[in-house]
Amino acid sequence: MPLARIPLPDPGSPDLRSPGRFLAWLARSQRRGQWMSMLWGTLFLGCRSAVPFCIGAGIQAVVEHRRGELWAAGAAALALGVLQTVASSLWHRQAVWNWIHAAAQTRQLVARQASELGSGLVRRIATGEMVAVSSGDVEKIGWFVETSSRCAAALTTWLGLSAVVLYREPRLGLAVLLGVPLLAVAVWPLLGPLERRYTRQRELGGKAAELAADTVAGLRVLRGIGGEQLFLDRYRAASQQVRRAAVRTARTSSLMQAQQLLLPGLFILGVTWYGARLVVSGDIGVGELVAVYGAGASLAWPLMLIGETAESWTAARVAAARAVRVLSVTRDDRPTPDTMADTPTETAPTDTAPLSAPERSDLHDPVTGLTAAAGRLTAVVCGDPDQAGALAARLGGHVTGGADPGAGEPSATLGGRELDRLPLAAARTAVLVHDKDPVLLSGTLAELFDVPRSGAVDPGRALAAACADDVLAALLDASPDAGGDPMRARITERGRSLSGGQRQRLALARALVVDPPVLVLDEPTSAVDSHTESRIAAGIAELRRGRSTVVLATSPLLLDRADQVVLIQDGRVAARGTHRELMHDEPRYRAVVTRETTEDQVTA
Amino acid sequence: MRAPEQHATRTTALLPVGSPASVRRYLLLLARRHRAGFGTAVGLHAVGAAAGLVGPWVLGEVVQNLSTGSTDAYITRAVLFYLAALLVQSLFTGLSRLRGGILGEEILADLREDFLVRSVALPPGVLERAGTGDLVSRATTDVDRLATTVRDAVPELSVAVVSLVLMLGALFATSPLLAVTALIGTPIIACGCRWYFRRAPQAYRDESAAYAAINTVLAETVDAGHTVEALRLGPERVELTDRRIGQWVDWSRYTLWLRANVFFPSIDFPYALSLVATLTLGGVYTLHGWTTPGQLTTGVLYAQMLTGPIDLILRWYDEIQVGQASMARLVGVREIPDPETDEGLRPQGREVRADRVRFGYREGADVLHGISLDVAPGARIALVGPSGAGKSTLGRLLAGIYTPRAGEVTLGGAALSGMPPERVRSEVALVNQEHHVFVGTLRDNLRLARPDADDQELRGALDAVDADHWFDALPDGLDTAVGSGGSQLTPPQAQQLALARLVLADPHTLVLDEATSLLDPRAARHLERSLAKVLDGRTVVAIAHRLHTAHDADLIAVVEDGRITEHGTHDALLTADRAYAALWQSWRSDGT
Repeated sequence: MPLARIPLPDPGSPDLRSPGRFLAWLARSQRRGQWMSMLWGTLFLGCRSAVPFCIGAGIQAVVEHRRGELWAAGAAALALGVLQTVASSLWHRQAVWNWIHAAAQTRQLVARQASELGSGLVRRIATGEMVAVSSGDVEKIGWFVETSSRCAAALTTWLGLSAVVLYREPRLGLAVLLGVPLLAVAVWPLLGPLERRYTRQRELGGKAAELAADTVAGLRVLRGIGGEQLFLDRYRAASQQVRRAAVRTARTSSLMQAQQLLLPGLFILGVTWYGARLVVSGDIGVGELVAVYGAGASLAWPLMLIGETAESWTAARVAAARAVRVLSVTRDDRPTPDTMADTPTETAPTDTAPLSAPERSDLHDPVTGLTAAAGRLTAVVCGDPDQAGALAARLGGHVTGGADPGAGEPSATLGGRELDRLPLAAARTAVLVHDKDPVLLSGTLAELFDVPRSGAVDPGRALAAACADDVLAALLDASPDAGGDPMRARITERGRSLSGGQRQRLALARALVVDPPVLVLDEPTSAVDSHTESRIAAGIAELRRGRSTVVLATSPLLLDRADQVVLIQDGRVAARGTHRELMHDEPRYRAVVTRETTEDQVTA
Repeated sequence: MRAPEQHATRTTALLPVGSPASVRRYLLLLARRHRAGFGTAVGLHAVGAAAGLVGPWVLGEVVQNLSTGSTDAYITRAVLFYLAALLVQSLFTGLSRLRGGILGEEILADLREDFLVRSVALPPGVLERAGTGDLVSRATTDVDRLATTVRDAVPELSVAVVSLVLMLGALFATSPLLAVTALIGTPIIACGCRWYFRRAPQAYRDESAAYAAINTVLAETVDAGHTVEALRLGPERVELTDRRIGQWVDWSRYTLWLRANVFFPSIDFPYALSLVATLTLGGVYTLHGWTTPGQLTTGVLYAQMLTGPIDLILRWYDEIQVGQASMARLVGVREIPDPETDEGLRPQGREVRADRVRFGYREGADVLHGISLDVAPGARIALVGPSGAGKSTLGRLLAGIYTPRAGEVTLGGAALSGMPPERVRSEVALVNQEHHVFVGTLRDNLRLARPDADDQELRGALDAVDADHWFDALPDGLDTAVGSGGSQLTPPQAQQLALARLVLADPHTLVLDEATSLLDPRAARHLERSLAKVLDGRTVVAIAHRLHTAHDADLIAVVEDGRITEHGTHDALLTADRAYAALWQSWRSDGT
């Protein structure tokens, strides 16, 4: 039986009107899988319920000394056993596959949503929520999609068994028909308290885990300064709280365990008792009594499955609600190719004409009056530090890490075209803003440099320009399986194994490899020592020769390499010139760049 | 079907993982601590499980009596007996679950608290080298996995084993002949298990690693939203996610195959075979008069019941192995040796001295090659030099975090490595770019530096580092919740908090390593004022990234390739006209 291919070539467009509809949509997109799972499940459960009848027939044959019938009963049981074995295997395979299908499909949707939202993500939804959907929630969603078909199998089996018994012995059949729903419902009064206590326990557990993680993450501070006992006592208190909450959960769940033994037990007892009286009155044989007992016991499976489905629905509803919330978010700051045709918004009518020759266009910021000439290296010094971030954001048509400090201000123009009115891809292709907090994505070094790029700059040259030799050595040291090839060395998440300066240089090299027509670098060497910084400054100037580059910086080592330096004071361009000219003629510039305080100037 | 190729690289652990022997030792320790609780839980369950065996036996008796012509009165007695057994079974099983739950929670609390107790006492050098990432994942993921094991797997498994033993006992008591017949499928099950458990554990580990890898990709895409957008990596991230999903599915398909195509049939079929054998062969025995119809009934029903505990054992066996791996990682930290220190060793004076110090992170690859340096009390020394020259390593040796391979670092004549870390840190502190804000109140975050400080002193420390302006704006003052989940402090505020801790801890010597380098240079200036106040009157070794820091120092040491190549005052180095002078000239390239 072939299984659906996963990952899906296209995860489709989900029904996001409600959590229930989303779950139903997921189930519908694997309709065949759902049917197959129900089919195999019914076969499996059906075989299981039929076995007791064979046993009954066998015992009846023994009591009546009919050897032939005994062998026939045995043969039937064997056939059922084989069928059950096959059905069990196929059922498990299909049900698990349905789970995988739903989980993978949801994750594919979330991944597409994440890359669609890009920098818009931070503003619109908590990033934690998105990760929560992809980690814990998909499992619950998958669980429900899986159990729904299992539940269908259980219901079919219950109705089938009721029909068979009803036909043979109406009263017993009625007991089965009504008893199963009654037993399934009997658990519900305890489910509420159990759920509440469990949620409480989970909350406290989460808090304790957070405390432990936090304490351990800051352990170098604790070991360096002190306070271990303080934090240990705090954790102990939290841990004991978890223990007490978990014991309360255990009380309810042990009560439930007892109840789940007692009630079905009473049902089987009652049915058997009735059966025994039928034997006494001569209506049925002892074999049939054994069959009744066995069939009653075999109802445990459908019962368990119905309970599990109820449980998974509770969990999946919450998870699906979050998934729907995350998947419903749309980008509001940019026109998208889909929406721009029919709904041009008033604030940003889209500019769809292609951008011609971005490398030969000047970049202009209307707010400060800054103009970066095409093909030149322009350095910008901001007198007021807070304005630098907003300037960088405007220069890229608004893209920065975290909250956009320049939101609401007009964006920069490239060759007279407003960047934030261009389609996103066009704007990002023309201008690359290398912000202060670029993230290194984990993977091999080769993967790090596998970015959309012009092809003119190979990674080797970019790494040399960014003075990253010692970074390569450090990466190789930590990746014994790279076999000495730096391109196969691995970078851990966010480059955590590297120092701040090393991370900064790798990220710079990546931006240089892209080789965009216009490159905006915001403090690209703030964490690098002066020796290295001076070499990087030379490297950038050399590599970007003839391309437009804007560097926001305060270090003289970088400023000295620029074709032109612009000083921005009080939100406007205050002075222009080379670094040396400005040092000479512009006291305000000198004050910012050399960080001289008034006393220094007096003694100097 | 063959196992898929290995995709996710198994990262090399920087911290040790406990050996089987030490895991066993630790388990024994726990077992001894909780012996009584375990005994009670198992005892209660045994009573419950024994009562659960009454049903088939009663039915057998009823069949026996009915087939020989019995009456209503007998049946009523039997039913009442069955009812009593059912009540006992429910009650005792519930009680045993409760006792087991309470015991499990006690053990879990012990496990996680023991782990943290050991973690917070780890030698600073170990933390510095191994980082805290691995430790954090042990404190969270492994503790969590172990919780599943202790809460579910251990009780289910113990219950299943007890039930299985009782069931086999009951089967043999009913009829040894039937018991032997019922075990006919056992060899097949044994073969199937052997085959499966040889492959399964590693396959499951790889599957869950592949599963986690999908999330890593997605979490990164989300976390790096702005970078992904700026570099136009969106389509590539989507493709990477799909590829990771594909790799996970390959593993899932393999484990699914192990279970559905091999393992389950090798269990299910022998079950069916055993049942059929018990019924037909048992029927033949009865026809020959070797057993009674009652015994046959009871025997067949017991044989059918055997699947319950065996299923449980097989199902939870994997989980136990997962728990064992996590346990080994928790126990691993107990194996890190504490360096030998001498409680009696005390510094005589405040002079820090490095004498022909050699040090390397790996055997045969020294980073520092015989460095000697004297730092007089109250002096300011700047270490400058290119990245990777060994400045930070030297700083950590001077702060007593690492022990030199050769040579010695002394404080007031006493070797730093010989003193316990608690004493070293009251004298010397390393200030680096790590400014962790702990989850909790601002007070907790400050008091760690001096647990007995009152609020007046805490406020004073904040004033001393110029943090008063934002502190006064906080709604709840020292009770303000900070750290993740609380009010977010900006990086400069976090750094000021770290400096305020230093004021409270009051060490006389500070080693500054990139303390302000990760900050926005535009915000650094204000912070440097705060820092200057903290440094006042202390001995300072500063690893200088910015030349103006070096300029202000009493002495400058240029570190290149693990050696001090230049050493002297700013003016002396300018006169010497070597590397430092050249750099200074380009930095101050104002033509003057």
